[in-house]
Amino acid sequence: MLSSRAVFVSAAGLLSSLGLYLLTTEAPSPAPDPALPLADTPYVLHHDLSAYTDFMMSGGPPPDGIPAIDDPQFVDADGANLDDGDMIIGFMHNGEARAYPQNILVHHEIVNDAVGGLNVAVTYCPLTATAQGFKRGDTTLGVSGQLLNSNLVMFDRDTESYFSQIAATGLTGTHSGATLDEVNLIWTTWGQWRAEHPDTRVLSDNTGHLRNYSNDPYGRYNPRGGYYDAREVIFPLMHESDAHHPKDMVVGARTDEESVHFVLDDLQSDRVQQTGRFVAVYDDRFNTGHIYEADALPDITPTENNRYEIDGKTYAPDALPLDALVSVEAFFFAWNAFYPNSNTV
Amino acid sequence: MRNAWRTLITLLRVARYRRIALGIGTVYLVLFLVALRDITLGGSGVRFATVEWTRMFSPTSPFTFEAIARLTLPGVTVLIAPLNILVGGVLSLLAALNLMVTYVAYNQPSACSFNRSTGVLASLPALLAGGACCAPAIVLILGLQVSSLFITAFQVLIPVAAVLLLITLKLILDRTHPERLSLMDA
Repeated sequence: MLSSRAVFVSAAGLLSSLGLYLLTTEAPSPAPDPALPLADTPYVLHHDLSAYTDFMMSGGPPPDGIPAIDDPQFVDADGANLDDGDMIIGFMHNGEARAYPQNILVHHEIVNDAVGGLNVAVTYCPLTATAQGFKRGDTTLGVSGQLLNSNLVMFDRDTESYFSQIAATGLTGTHSGATLDEVNLIWTTWGQWRAEHPDTRVLSDNTGHLRNYSNDPYGRYNPRGGYYDAREVIFPLMHESDAHHPKDMVVGARTDEESVHFVLDDLQSDRVQQTGRFVAVYDDRFNTGHIYEADALPDITPTENNRYEIDGKTYAPDALPLDALVSVEAFFFAWNAFYPNSNTV
Repeated sequence: MRNAWRTLITLLRVARYRRIALGIGTVYLVLFLVALRDITLGGSGVRFATVEWTRMFSPTSPFTFEAIARLTLPGVTVLIAPLNILVGGVLSLLAALNLMVTYVAYNQPSACSFNRSTGVLASLPALLAGGACCAPAIVLILGLQVSSLFITAFQVLIPVAAVLLLITLKLILDRTHPERLSLMDA
């Protein structure tokens, strides 16, 4: 039988929850010695920094409300519970290959890992389909709960500086305006990654957190559907364009002066695309593109077996004798929102 | 206030009304946990996993908290987050009582000094409380674009809904007269 006491206890419970929430969302105090590796020259931005900070908005969760994986466990390829068509994020360094399944990253967005002696943060934003890796030194990165152009905003737990993932640039705090030291990740399928890296280690679903890793809150990739295929974008954008379907995949890159992007399906058809100082080549192994920069671009001819000929010699698509840029795959709408003046074909 | 409690207790002494409240509350709590994604489709085998209990205090968003246990069953996974169950339980209780009194008003208008349509209006806060947890799912399903104002409003929707539920419950109980109730079906 319910009584007035039951109603009182219920109301007290709600107030307790409010108190607990307020108590547990206080930010940690910053450490004095930031150790985050930064790029020598910052990436180009298409706006003043203040325009980005003004546009940044809460996505709902508080800092670390989406918990990064700070103590990742791994299994070998045979122990991975993945289908060949499932998406993974691949990283290779000093002979060590890692695969981070999308179905796990969609719930955590950041893995603070060490691969081949390199401390690295593997980051993934499901809303913009961007997988980007950053050297992290002795600090760790967390999910801030803020969004900029629907894209992940991370924070350095040492200094509490906030960073845009796609721009890879500090938005607030000690590192405001500085660019993270970025490494190349590969956004591909488990089958393609495993074929090239049979000895890869795979992030285990024993993450230290409790989630349903067989359920993606946004949609699916195998086959692609839901949010990942729809025209709709959930959060406001600084720039919008009808040039392509918002969820078309592009591969992009930035330097200190310019940005560039190539539509992945078009690159797959053409094999080689060039605009200005930039050239992209398609890589069959991972269904991705690699972007290079040169003052004077040579003639590049695709040959058989996923290789490209320059001056009579052939090269793998990720080993052309040009200045390689960090190549990032993203939904078109997201790249355009950050880089509306991006070079393109 | 005393009259409101007395009316509520009188109503809850009727087994039929008690069953209605319990049914509504249970369905509401399950839907609340589904909307929070503590109950989701997908899972294979039967497994049970736990993490340290202190994690239950870690917020995942305003008024929602981390799970400390996970039960995986064929086709469904249940995350057990004690504070989510507490918050959902409070909302479910308030919504169930509101809807129970609304039901009484609709079926026995002579016992209430408000008309049927007013009684139905009193159930609106229950829908608002439901919206508090369902909003993200609705946004995703309908592909809506949300603003920072929406996010801010969403963050306070649960406490606002709880307060509104308390107010409407008090108002409709004050206008319900237990001495006029027919308890023939008790």
